[in-house]
Amino acid sequence: MSGKSLDNRRVQKFHWMSRFLSGWAIFRQSFLGKIGLTLLALFALMALCSFIPPLVDPMYQPMAGVDPEISTVTGPSTRHWLGTDFMGRDLLSQLLAGARVAFMVGVSAAFMSVFLGTAIGMIAGYMGKFADTLLMRLADIIMVMPALVVLLMLAALFGQLSIWFIVFFIALFRWPGVSRVIRAQTLSLKHRPFIEAARVAGASHLRIIFRHITPNVLPLSFLYMTFQVTSAIIIEAALAFLGFGDPRTISWGMMLQWVWKTGHMFNAPYWLLPPGICISLITLSFYMLGRAMDEVLDPRLRKEGQTD
Amino acid sequence: MELWIYTSRRLVQIVIIFFVILTVLFLLFRLAPGDPVSRMVDPNLTPEDAQLLIEELGLDQPVWIQYFYYLKNFLTGHFGFSFHYGRPVVQIIGDRLPNTILLFTTSIILSALVGIFLGKIASWHKGEKTDTCLTVGALVTHTVFLPWLALIMIWVFAYKLGWFPITGMISEEVWLDPDAGLWPKSVDILHHMVLPLTTLFLIHFGSYLLIMRTSMLETLREDYILTARAKGLPEKVIRNHHAAPNAALPVVTSVGLSLAFSINGGALTETVFTWPGIGRELVFSVSHNDYPLAQASFLLIAAVVLVSNLVVDILYAYLDPRIRY
Repeated sequence: MSGKSLDNRRVQKFHWMSRFLSGWAIFRQSFLGKIGLTLLALFALMALCSFIPPLVDPMYQPMAGVDPEISTVTGPSTRHWLGTDFMGRDLLSQLLAGARVAFMVGVSAAFMSVFLGTAIGMIAGYMGKFADTLLMRLADIIMVMPALVVLLMLAALFGQLSIWFIVFFIALFRWPGVSRVIRAQTLSLKHRPFIEAARVAGASHLRIIFRHITPNVLPLSFLYMTFQVTSAIIIEAALAFLGFGDPRTISWGMMLQWVWKTGHMFNAPYWLLPPGICISLITLSFYMLGRAMDEVLDPRLRKEGQTD
Repeated sequence: MELWIYTSRRLVQIVIIFFVILTVLFLLFRLAPGDPVSRMVDPNLTPEDAQLLIEELGLDQPVWIQYFYYLKNFLTGHFGFSFHYGRPVVQIIGDRLPNTILLFTTSIILSALVGIFLGKIASWHKGEKTDTCLTVGALVTHTVFLPWLALIMIWVFAYKLGWFPITGMISEEVWLDPDAGLWPKSVDILHHMVLPLTTLFLIHFGSYLLIMRTSMLETLREDYILTARAKGLPEKVIRNHHAAPNAALPVVTSVGLSLAFSINGGALTETVFTWPGIGRELVFSVSHNDYPLAQASFLLIAAVVLVSNLVVDILYAYLDPRIRY
């Protein structure tokens, strides 16, 4: 393990590259994966576009940009491609800003929960005994708790929740699923010869966990990250839809809350349809991406038809 | 007999978990910014009544004594009065619970059964058009944003086409009519239930379908299926009697695992369709700062989650004799 020669390192680098390339080759064959990736690229483009409109005209500021000539709901026009909301704000700008928030919430919550889940899963699996029992029972409890309901209760007690609090809380609620899988993987790794060799060579527990187990469970963690993004976006959107989102950010859920609460849902389809389609498509594309990555990691799925 | 031991052990676990939830909720109520007394005592009460209620809830005592009052009140079903309705919270919750159970269990059972059935068909036609259509359909309906789907349902089927009522659970003219018997009343509820039920069904059946399909494909590779084929049994018998029952087991597990997801969805559906259930009551009480009602609804939802998990586990142990705990 120690005193690795330069040559050895180059071999390892090549090994990672080839693993990535062969994975990419399998991924490319997956129809779902391709659609998912394309859709995500489009959403990323939307999120990037949201930075442009304010530079052009303050009227397009998604939160405060009110069109001085329009004070109510209007349909699509050349000036406002998707129309305006009940205050005369441009709906397209809100939709673009929503893409930014969705990515931010989804990716950061997923990253946090996967980080927590991987760390806890490895500790539980590696330590075993008391730590394992305690952590896994805790995971069981958190797993059955509906995150949205708990967040609602917290909103009742602590008032308006900020977007980072929401992200943090979603992460706190979503780690158990990841940690179970990582724990199982760690348990099967623990008794492999290379771990025993490291232990005999005098490696500390921390070194074994970080140097030898982590690289072997990371691909699984990444897979789970895509699924976590999906659920984080849905929970945030649902909370915003019920009126408990962060009032300083515009998310798609909040746009739906406005169209629903202001009673325009029956006469303004140009307002009702886009945010819902966006939330549904972004969750769908992350989900499809996850399934395609599943195929890359799990050879058993690969042999089954393309759509699995 | 083993099942009984297992069940009672799980029951003890559930009681402990519920106790933990109760305690955390108690602490949260005291830790949150603002005056804890104002959270349990209706601001509209007269000072004398308020004083009486404070004494009854032990809010003038030290925190750890308050905790015992809290537990005692919980065990005797004393949750205080709702600020908004002015009635005991227990009564309101009692009114709402059957409605939630009706909608929730019907939707879960329906979507699991249809998911199992369609997943079976998809796996049988693997790689064909039927399979592709079902899988893609399941993926799409499963990831649609639930409240939005509910709004679209209302917009299309209730507003544009006028086939179903827009909101609520009962129409007053039927229920106030003294001559109306049980039959028109049930038909009325069913009529109101179609849209929320369809929404929940559409969201849920997809994941069950996908799980059933994968599990079925794995089961079909087992040796005993080969044996059944070698015996010359008809394909239909192999599919329905040999493969499907075993393949359906992971679906049962996933019903348990996705319960949290289903409860969230239930609350959203009830809110959009103004279905008078616990989930809607929670959302309503939270937005109106009706703390006693919010607390009780939350505890009830937690209890529902724990109990339904137990039911799923028992069902699983019953269905799969290989599992012994």
